[in-house]
Amino acid sequence: MSARRDDDRGSIRMPAPTAWPMLLAAGICLGFGGLVTNAIVTATGAVLAVIAAWGWIREVLPVQHLEEVALRPAALRAKDVRPSTARVDHLEVGQDGHRMRLPIEIHPWTAGLTGGLIGAGVMALVAAAIGVAGYGSPWYPINLLAATVMPSLSQAGTKELSAFDPTAFGIASVIHLLASLLVGALYGLILPLVPRRHALIGGLVAPLFWTGLLWAVLGVLNPALNGRIEWPAFVLSQVAFGVAVGWFVSRSEKIATLQDVSLAARAGIEASGLGKGRDEA
Amino acid sequence: MAVLDRSLESSPAESSARVPVGSILHDWVVTADHKKLGLMYIASGLVFFLVAGVMASMMRIQLALPQNDFLGPNTFNRLMTMHGTTMVFFVGMPMFFGFANYVVPLQIGARDLAFPRLNAFGFWMFLFGGVLLYFSALGSEGLYGAGSTPDVGWFAYAPLTSRTFSRGNATDYWILGILLSSVGSTATAINLVTTVATMRCPGMTLGRMPLFVWILWVDAILVLFVLSPLTAAQVMLLFDRFLGAHFFDTQAGGSAVLWQHFFWFFGHPEVYVLILPAFAIASEVIPVFSRKPLFGYPIMVAATICIGMISMSVWVHHMFVVGLEPGANTFFAASTMAIAVPTGIKIFNWLGTMWGGRIRFRVPMLWCTAFLLEFVLAGLTGVILATVPIDWQLSDSYFVVAHFHFVLIGGLLFNIFAAIYYWFPKATGRMLDEGLGRKHFFWFVLGFNLTFLPMHVPGLLGMPRRIYTYMPGRGWDAWNLVVTIGVAVQAIGILYFLWNVISSLRDGEPAGDDPWDGWTLEWATTSPPPEYNFEEIPTVRSRRPLWDLKHPEDPDWRWE
Amino acid sequence: MSTATAAVPGGLEEATGPLGEDRKGRVGMASLIIAEISFFAVFIVAYLFYLGKSATGPQPGEVLKTPVVATICLLASSVTIAIALRALRAGSLGGFRLWWLATILLGAGFLVATALEWHELIWERGLTIATNLFGTTFYSLVGFHALHVTLGLCMLTFVLVAALRGRLHPEDAERTEILSWYWHFVDAVWIAVFCVVYLTAR
Repeated sequence: MSARRDDDRGSIRMPAPTAWPMLLAAGICLGFGGLVTNAIVTATGAVLAVIAAWGWIREVLPVQHLEEVALRPAALRAKDVRPSTARVDHLEVGQDGHRMRLPIEIHPWTAGLTGGLIGAGVMALVAAAIGVAGYGSPWYPINLLAATVMPSLSQAGTKELSAFDPTAFGIASVIHLLASLLVGALYGLILPLVPRRHALIGGLVAPLFWTGLLWAVLGVLNPALNGRIEWPAFVLSQVAFGVAVGWFVSRSEKIATLQDVSLAARAGIEASGLGKGRDEA
Repeated sequence: MAVLDRSLESSPAESSARVPVGSILHDWVVTADHKKLGLMYIASGLVFFLVAGVMASMMRIQLALPQNDFLGPNTFNRLMTMHGTTMVFFVGMPMFFGFANYVVPLQIGARDLAFPRLNAFGFWMFLFGGVLLYFSALGSEGLYGAGSTPDVGWFAYAPLTSRTFSRGNATDYWILGILLSSVGSTATAINLVTTVATMRCPGMTLGRMPLFVWILWVDAILVLFVLSPLTAAQVMLLFDRFLGAHFFDTQAGGSAVLWQHFFWFFGHPEVYVLILPAFAIASEVIPVFSRKPLFGYPIMVAATICIGMISMSVWVHHMFVVGLEPGANTFFAASTMAIAVPTGIKIFNWLGTMWGGRIRFRVPMLWCTAFLLEFVLAGLTGVILATVPIDWQLSDSYFVVAHFHFVLIGGLLFNIFAAIYYWFPKATGRMLDEGLGRKHFFWFVLGFNLTFLPMHVPGLLGMPRRIYTYMPGRGWDAWNLVVTIGVAVQAIGILYFLWNVISSLRDGEPAGDDPWDGWTLEWATTSPPPEYNFEEIPTVRSRRPLWDLKHPEDPDWRWE
Repeated sequence: MSTATAAVPGGLEEATGPLGEDRKGRVGMASLIIAEISFFAVFIVAYLFYLGKSATGPQPGEVLKTPVVATICLLASSVTIAIALRALRAGSLGGFRLWWLATILLGAGFLVATALEWHELIWERGLTIATNLFGTTFYSLVGFHALHVTLGLCMLTFVLVAALRGRLHPEDAERTEILSWYWHFVDAVWIAVFCVVYLTAR
């Protein structure tokens, strides 16, 4: 604290330059360097280090050695920082021409789950219809899905696959419902974050995207399904799912988020100066 | 504009006539001024960087072709050891301490560090340690009679370092050089911790410190925790070699694995000690050139502290191939992946800072932008290597070499260049040339990617690190040739950089006090600053004190 | 913060908080102690890691005796240095000199006890740093502690000389206290060494 406010004296006291720290370092390094060269080097280093340490102590005790550094003449000092003429633009939430679009309102997560269930129903209907049209049996696609975890079915022929199998039906239903709920929940969470074209992205792009993903990995996951799958029919049922979920989620009532509130306020911290700027401190 | 005459930089009394060289040299040797010491740290770091860079180039020439005989195996081992040791201890560390020394007191509105003489001591210990290490080339008796630099690799695994396997004094030079410079580094870290804790100007609460200062503070604290274990391990090794102790002597029941634990307990946090200054620099440069305040300041502080703490519990990921028990492997794989979270937060916050800003792509900003891209790649290969089975496959291969060069060059060195371009005007009063800077940037980034992107591939194909040559026909030949060509391209960039520094020092464009329209306190004083930094100790009311002065209609303290 | 800003815009009074420039010695010493703790921790880990792994004797249980006198000396010196400081604060330089001298004597007593112990171990029991893993880790850990005691004694003696020559004043209490932190640290390390080395050997 004492060093401040002394500019009226025209000089400032700064620690005086000193060679002792450098000599102490040199002494210590020579001292250790002797281990790999010659004992004489160690001896020299030790003597140097003791002398330098003593010099250093004399430099700082009882009071450290300071020197007066004259202040620069006013012309050579830093210029005052002047107010800028540039205008300050604050970024606003949802501002035109700016891509920042935080979801001020989102769909409730329950809408995603319900939508997922509805989508599951629609998709099952479409798949069953395709099964009936192509193979004369609504159980055909169900058995194929169950083949993911049922080795007996993956070796089965078309005839067995067309017959009703209660175990396969149960397993396929669980897989189908879980997957549908999961994807439905993702729809509910992610769709509001997408700036525009919800119908296109939810109904078509997303189903095509995960169909592509499945196409890539299906050979590993479910070889039976991979061998027998008809991709156009598969895509059709996926799109039916996407449209159903997207439709349901987008017509649910939105709820507000706390996105435009500061982190501290959201964390429940009560403090001054949160959110809005203070006019005068 | 008045402070252009560089002879005025230390005091007005010297303004007349030319000062003799001897006197200038004397001034620098006896100085306790944080700015001069900072510049000496940076300059000596650059010199070591060039030396170690030349070593790397020689190794790449040797590896460009299969069964090349440019270097022999012994020379290769020495170069490899000296390159690694130099880059970590005598380039990375002095760069950290150099910028911390120069910038921290200016940014917190202090006249010097807390203990100016200790600062000088720390610098000279570092420098003499480096000199001792390099003296081994002349003074050490190796196996073949001639001088021999250390050749045990930069992490010097036991029992290769025992007297039995490492004759002569080369390994002793390695131990002593690092030991001495580590003592200096610890001293400087103590100094920095104390400075930031006690020397901040009025109004600068912890919440108003520039993030640069925050990160370097955490970094200095980290150094306190991890550098003395290395010192202790080096002392043990010294006892083994000179007194016949058995710490790492496997014949007497000593454990080679214990050395690995001790070394990597230092060695991995060291990576964060080196990379945190890079984060600090990016956190300073990106906001100024995006014309926006830093996004998520408190989260950045929290992420920095998280990184500091987690970094001390990840070291075993260097030792997966040792064959420790699965529980340990699982824990350290998980903690290694966990550290990606705070690091990812930082990346997103820098992107958030740039997003919607009026970005000015001057040279410092170019480096920081390139850093963001390269560092994400480096981090991704890091997470890959943290997976134990993949590490078993890739450990000690060129994939690892490519990974950590991506971290240390794409992460650290890019930001060091950014910092040099950013603060050069403050330190010298002259701008670095923008055109030459862009050429430097272009050639170096091109060469860097040409070198280290392809380097991942021979690693995946099974090429081990630290081999001095290889047989043709293993699918490594073309990749190695490309890597070596990349080194030549990087060298072009470095030549542009050196020419830029030299020519700009002589007749660069005058900088003025505040060339970047910056916001932190160093831009409130002259370029170069007077010995006492500020005529009057400033008072701050927000994280961006100069913004408050430049925009009185909309100061930051209304919002913080 | 909100109440204070009314007086000074932006909260000036918070200036540098409780850690002003006058506290830099304390922060510096605390930092040094952190680094030193880390240093000793490695030697302690090594000692514990190699405990009972020596290929040949002697083992700790066969040769180590509980160093009662040394421990009492060192622990007592932490008390006397605190009393000395209190005397200095109170302006009683005579009391300070007396208790400070007592601290030095106790510290020296500790060193003498250690020297006697080492003499017995080396000359009578034949245990050196090169004998086995126990010798290696024992002498390193205890030796570095003794080195720190020696350095501490040098500094304490320096202060005593200054006090005897009348160069020490109550205003120097802050600096002297910082030195006493170092002494307390050395004492604390001994407690750790005592537990790790001597208690495990019983």
